[in-house]
Amino acid sequence: MEILKTKVTRRRFLQASGVAGAAGAGYSALSVVPAASKEAHAQAAAGNTVVNKSICGQCPARCGIDVYTTNGKVHAIYGNNGHPIANGKGCPKMHLGTYILYDPDRFKGPMKRTNPKKGRDEDPKFVPISWDEAFKTVGDRLNALRDKGESHRFGLFFGRGWGASDVGVNIVPFGKLYGSPNVPIGHSSICSDGSVLAKQCTDGNASYSSYDYRNANYLLMFGANFLEAYRPYNNNLQVWGYIRGEKTPKTRVTYVDVHMNQTGAAADRALLLKPGTDGALALAIAHVILTEGLWDRPFVGNFKDGENKFKTGEKLDPSSFNEKWVSGLIEWWNVELKDRTPKWAEGVTTIPADLIIKTAREFGSTRPAIALFERGAHTHSNGVLNGMAIHSLNALVGSLFAEGGLGYQMGPAYGDAPANPDDFMDAYAKEGPWKKFGRIDMQGHDDGYKMAKNMIQEAGARQLDGKAGYKLDTAMFYMTNPCFSTPNAKDWEEALKTMYVIDTSPFPGETAWMADLVLPDNTYLERWQDAPTYPFQGFPLAQIRTPAIKPLYDTRTFGDVLIGIGKQIKGPTGEYYAKLGNVENILRHIAKGFEKTPGDNGVNSFETWAKEGVWFKKPYVFRQVRGEFFKWDGKGYNITMKPDEVKKDLLKTDSGKFEFKSSYMEHKKDWILAKTGRNAEKYNFPHWEEPKYTGGGDLHFISPKTAMHAEGRSGNLPNAISMFQPTVGGKKQALVEVHPSVAKAKGIADGDSVKIKSSQGEILAIARVTELTRPDVIVLPFEHGHWAHGRWAKGRGSHVDTIVVQQSDRISGMANYYSAKASIEKA
Amino acid sequence: MAKWGMVIDLEKCTGCQACSTACQMENNRLPGENYQDVLYYTEGKQPAPTLSWFPRPCMHCEEPSCMHVCPTKATFKTEDGVVLIDWNKCIGCKFCMIACPYGVRFYTDEKPLIEPNIKSVFKGEGDLSWNPPYKGPQQDASHGVGIQPNGVVSKCTFCYHKISKAPKGTPDLSNDDPALREFVPACVRTCAPTARYFGDLDNPNSKVNRLISAKKGVRLLDHTGNKPQVYYLTGGGAAGGAIPSSRANDKKA
Repeated sequence: MEILKTKVTRRRFLQASGVAGAAGAGYSALSVVPAASKEAHAQAAAGNTVVNKSICGQCPARCGIDVYTTNGKVHAIYGNNGHPIANGKGCPKMHLGTYILYDPDRFKGPMKRTNPKKGRDEDPKFVPISWDEAFKTVGDRLNALRDKGESHRFGLFFGRGWGASDVGVNIVPFGKLYGSPNVPIGHSSICSDGSVLAKQCTDGNASYSSYDYRNANYLLMFGANFLEAYRPYNNNLQVWGYIRGEKTPKTRVTYVDVHMNQTGAAADRALLLKPGTDGALALAIAHVILTEGLWDRPFVGNFKDGENKFKTGEKLDPSSFNEKWVSGLIEWWNVELKDRTPKWAEGVTTIPADLIIKTAREFGSTRPAIALFERGAHTHSNGVLNGMAIHSLNALVGSLFAEGGLGYQMGPAYGDAPANPDDFMDAYAKEGPWKKFGRIDMQGHDDGYKMAKNMIQEAGARQLDGKAGYKLDTAMFYMTNPCFSTPNAKDWEEALKTMYVIDTSPFPGETAWMADLVLPDNTYLERWQDAPTYPFQGFPLAQIRTPAIKPLYDTRTFGDVLIGIGKQIKGPTGEYYAKLGNVENILRHIAKGFEKTPGDNGVNSFETWAKEGVWFKKPYVFRQVRGEFFKWDGKGYNITMKPDEVKKDLLKTDSGKFEFKSSYMEHKKDWILAKTGRNAEKYNFPHWEEPKYTGGGDLHFISPKTAMHAEGRSGNLPNAISMFQPTVGGKKQALVEVHPSVAKAKGIADGDSVKIKSSQGEILAIARVTELTRPDVIVLPFEHGHWAHGRWAKGRGSHVDTIVVQQSDRISGMANYYSAKASIEKA
Repeated sequence: MAKWGMVIDLEKCTGCQACSTACQMENNRLPGENYQDVLYYTEGKQPAPTLSWFPRPCMHCEEPSCMHVCPTKATFKTEDGVVLIDWNKCIGCKFCMIACPYGVRFYTDEKPLIEPNIKSVFKGEGDLSWNPPYKGPQQDASHGVGIQPNGVVSKCTFCYHKISKAPKGTPDLSNDDPALREFVPACVRTCAPTARYFGDLDNPNSKVNRLISAKKGVRLLDHTGNKPQVYYLTGGGAAGGAIPSSRANDKKA
């Protein structure tokens, strides 16, 4: 009986699938040219399996990958065994690459808008155009702006490319040759500028750090979800297996966050604190390290008489202490630390004082130890202060540039590009009217964010209110979608209606929906590209993408599109881009640097680079050992560095030391005091400041990244959606984590539809009642809530940035995603 | 002949699901139907809740209950110890799905987890349930490898299309040896923290046997008598762990 039933079901399914298929084919609002290109078909006849070297595109870690192609179809991706970050391994996202390549919603070629009206409900009515027409359209537009002296009204916004130099062609020269302060504007202020500024203010390096985790014996992590969302993710997982399963002694880990996640669960101790109070915890840990005499004397220095004088609440004479590689310790103690007791911190963070003391003792007495932090700690109004306090712990235990500590990333031994932009500057580029204008996002402006690197989240609002003194005429977007991903994303959405928009994504998205012109990029498996490493272990490393297959459709690598547009610009700019040729030509030129400096894996040319997929040269050449700095001489760390060399290469502050008292902030003292209202005594020390929460609700609203966030595309990958939020079972969409006490008070049952409200708006979500989150925190990972991102993404889940209010850290410009508050009720 | 088995070190596992995504890529799995999953559990209360996870592939049992109930002998045990389904013989009766204590078998024709149904987007030809452009080149119905046909049950094959090509006599298949990497099951090959090991349980010198011995490997639901060939390490020298062990009762020992 069962057997017969099954057979019937099987036949029925076959009939049913035909019907469902016809319905499915009807959806193609943005698909214009259906067929794959002839080249792709020609390749299909080829036959056997080919393995190409490339770079994963799912996070900034840039893992080397082996791409398996058989009969012209890419079917598998594994880590490159010879790549120092990947080591042949993969994270869960690495294997999603084929779905991205074959996403059925991909754009099939360049298109222009025919519906002049823009809006969520306005079909752009795209029609296909040729690449020639596309280049001419953009070229004419940009030349006309330049002729009018309005070239500053062109903006180029980019996200994960990654970085201005990593698209195969450097984006930055386009701005200075064409003449616009808005080329480029990066996305770092919605990414992680809080940590960059915290490092810049204390040790003088405007950068993320490189880490020697494998040799550390203690890791103290603040809001950096090491096993889900912190880069380099794949390598972090490898590190974890080693330090927890193989290394002797086993590395101890304390993890600080606002809800329980995989990192917290896997750590020895999870401290779940009130959002935005990470700095208070770090200050209390510093207090214990000093009062209990646990600081690293060779790096920090000591009291002149050798006796520990740090006593809670008691001021000290700065002259009583001899500082070695730090500056301002006693002043920091006097203005801030002396009163930052664990008991005080318990009141701020809700973490019991005894656990703070235990953590501080472990961290302070285990060497080497690393304190690391990321967005959880710094996407707040007090973010840079939190970051400075946490990073100062590294100075106190002497981990800067130490084995098992942290340093900064060295760049690769690249050769020269085919042309130098400085040789192609015309009079307009040098002194044209564009020079008078600041950036549209008011980065660097006295009335804006003077110390920020970028302010992409406010560019939309400035476009609408004109505060920058002008409005953009044309904007181009590369791997960024600010009308979806910035707080109060609605501003950007409205702004896109007021300008000519060029999107370059290979996929449909909200920016493309508002675009006038779509110049689709190749996906990462179809293109040439280079990428120097994101900060990793310090030693120089650069990987390369080689195309696994020819583009499936009539798409072009963004780098080549930028060159194509550049060639349209009249005068020497056009000549510069003609000289660059194409991305592959640029890569061939820069690879010449490897001839002089061969990599450890024998890479000494473009061909060997493409064959191995990576060039690298170990070791990281700097090392601090017990308060002395050394350089690598080829055999060992044998060259002693003089203080001025340390200042030039490593501790790049005015004092040439790690500064608890920041000279970088002191240079902007008046501006900081005026804009932040901070205490003139404390403003340039790591100190506690209550975060300014936004949104007005009774609960903290946290929208973290999950492990399955594949650089914005997971929302349209059914395989990724089904595994998106594993800890609480968000398999169809992300669920909002609600503590049982909140659920009870508000009459919410597990699985209920709920309304989440802030002062800015409201969204619907599905509740997951769980003990994983604090009673004062609701957690809803960002990813879903798209309205024009492809058939699987559309209408799925909740758009968190509808309710996250626009507020940024005055110092870093970092968007304060996690300062959000909201209320929740049954829908 | 080897008796292939797997060791999963729960102390090293980060719960990242790369095993599951590598599996879905290598075996053309539908969303939510990976041959292997990671299960997550929450216990306790704030401020000290417990979150834990458990990676669960097919156990490739020595005494597979799924095989014993199969009316057509479609499920069979290979000479090298792997439990497979011959799709040419499977009639889709699902007895095996009920008999399996681990819930690691999959039937076609289920309602899709994610709409729109990806099977309707990449429609299958002939008897195959779908035809994704990224499907792998291997299709071997008699070993249950490749795109699942309509009306049959499927399951983890230990990536039989890979391991069956391994040089004979190899004690362990590991990605660390470049010469062996193409023979390693996808979940083992990609596992970043190296929480998974794959080797010959009949070879006393294999790394899997050394780990089972040194770290007190245990098997899931061992009381069923299925005798899984997947062992779990539950934390250094802590004997017993969370999972009862009865390795001493190994039939061949």
